[in-house]
Amino acid sequence: MNSEKKKTAYLFGALTVLLALCFFFSLKVGSTDVTLKELFEILLFQDDAMYGKIILSIRLPRVIAAMVLGGALSVSGYLLQIFFGNPIAGPYVLGISSGAKLFVALCMVVLVGQQIHISSWFMVAAAFAGSLLSMAVVMALAGKVKNMALLVVCGVMIGYICSAVTEFVITFASDSNIVNLHNWSNGSFSGISWEHVRISVFIVTITLAVTFFMSKPMGAYRLGEAYARNMGVNIKNLRRILILLSSILSATVTAFAGPISFVGIAVPHMMRGVMKTNTPILMIPACFLGGAVITLLCDCVARSAFAPTELSISAVTAVFLAPVVIYMLLTRRSNVHG
Amino acid sequence: MDKKLRTLALDVGYQKGRPVVNRVSMDLYPGEIIAIIGGNGAGKSTVLKTITGQLEKLSGDIRICNRREEELTEEALAKMVSMVTTERIHPELMSCYEVAAMGRYPYTGRLGILGEDDKGAVTDALRMVGASDIATEDFSKISDGQRQRIMLARAICQDTDILILDEPTSFLDVQFKLDILSVIKKLAKERKKAVIMSIHELEFVPAMADKVIGIFNRQVYQIGTPREILRGENLEIMYGMEKGSGSIMEEGLWQYAHSLERLICQK
Repeated sequence: MNSEKKKTAYLFGALTVLLALCFFFSLKVGSTDVTLKELFEILLFQDDAMYGKIILSIRLPRVIAAMVLGGALSVSGYLLQIFFGNPIAGPYVLGISSGAKLFVALCMVVLVGQQIHISSWFMVAAAFAGSLLSMAVVMALAGKVKNMALLVVCGVMIGYICSAVTEFVITFASDSNIVNLHNWSNGSFSGISWEHVRISVFIVTITLAVTFFMSKPMGAYRLGEAYARNMGVNIKNLRRILILLSSILSATVTAFAGPISFVGIAVPHMMRGVMKTNTPILMIPACFLGGAVITLLCDCVARSAFAPTELSISAVTAVFLAPVVIYMLLTRRSNVHG
Repeated sequence: MDKKLRTLALDVGYQKGRPVVNRVSMDLYPGEIIAIIGGNGAGKSTVLKTITGQLEKLSGDIRICNRREEELTEEALAKMVSMVTTERIHPELMSCYEVAAMGRYPYTGRLGILGEDDKGAVTDALRMVGASDIATEDFSKISDGQRQRIMLARAICQDTDILILDEPTSFLDVQFKLDILSVIKKLAKERKKAVIMSIHELEFVPAMADKVIGIFNRQVYQIGTPREILRGENLEIMYGMEKGSGSIMEEGLWQYAHSLERLICQK
């Protein structure tokens, strides 16, 4: 048992170091390359001469957002996987991110059209409402469709419908304020401001803390509803809380960075492989760190692979993570949980 | 002695107004084993599910340790009643030890971290069911028989006065059946647990049960000792057998039952 604890500690150490390395690497690369020495000077002395302004007001908030929101998205997926008792679940593949996107786009188009300023909090609220609505649709379907793979197909269809309506709305609202809505609706961390970062960090920190303290009933829920109830878990409450926490996290991501594909489904799967456990108390922090690392790297690719043209983050995550999902679908025993 | 579990005119079922079994009344004392028998679909599981709270009762009363079930919180109930169901679980990447240790849920703190007492209880329970050697194995990769042992160990380390077991021996080979049933018998006789179990294998009933409840035609057909219940004419009625075949059955059943009783009690 003790050697196992040590191994877990090493793994967390390694993930943290990896995240730190990715953090500095992401700050360094981009349209204007800075040396490591310059980078540290800028960060330490808040020196905003020369490249300083780019680093401090554009790249730094973007990198922090990619970390925090990437981690949040991965935890959001993990919560859904616990909820459905099945690793083939995530906010993107179930159409929840797209529902959030649709609501945000609608609010922006309608309100900006009437010259009303939209606060960041309002965007999160709109995304949250959208998440819950598509969640409700998915849950209604889950009552009828017992097969998870089929439910995912339904989720992808819901996603397509929401995306199509979003496209429609954006196309017909050619206000200049909405021009960058197009980038956002495909998923992108570009143009994230410090205000967005502050709000994201605030929401994600609180939500993760609550999630962490739910790890005990989540652990019991892995044995199925009947046994969890026998151990004293209030099933109805737990299910409600799982849905709320997962929706808050994925809504925050979607409000600021748009829908980001496959991080929520693939990263928890990869982390289970790395950690060799599915214990929530370990998996929640592991998913956060893993999601942060992978999203950060994907964002690096998105902004530097074909610079100065930027790719959407979802295009990059799809290329790297969709194969993981396919592998997962193929290798799972089909009799598990129907 | 104090009754551990009482049901009073309990109606059970899935839909209001359409009970699967009517007016179930029984008393269960410490150290006692009640076996529920009856044909497929008679409603054995429905009764047990209602007692464990998985199903809402349709009417009547359930008293656990002299308190009405409604008055008990989930946590309090978890320290009084544990169960093994027929439902198969599919936890991913959980060792047998982890699955069994879930039984300590009502006793651990906010984050569910096992203390020394808890670890001791889990180790004890695993030893009792003879699963110490598979503790570190992945739960999803062991046989049905082994799984049933682990689920029983989980229920044991939940350390409750009442154990509810839904067909604990189904799908197991004869040796696994003997092993599991000996453990259950020991729990009742040595640790004074009150046990209620449903069972299809009538040949094990005389060795195990102090009382038998036969369910037939939406009600409790008879309650009594195994001697009183396991008789040709009762079997014919409860299982819808042909006239005359009951007595043939009875003869062979009791012979086999005596052999099994010797095997279970010598452990």
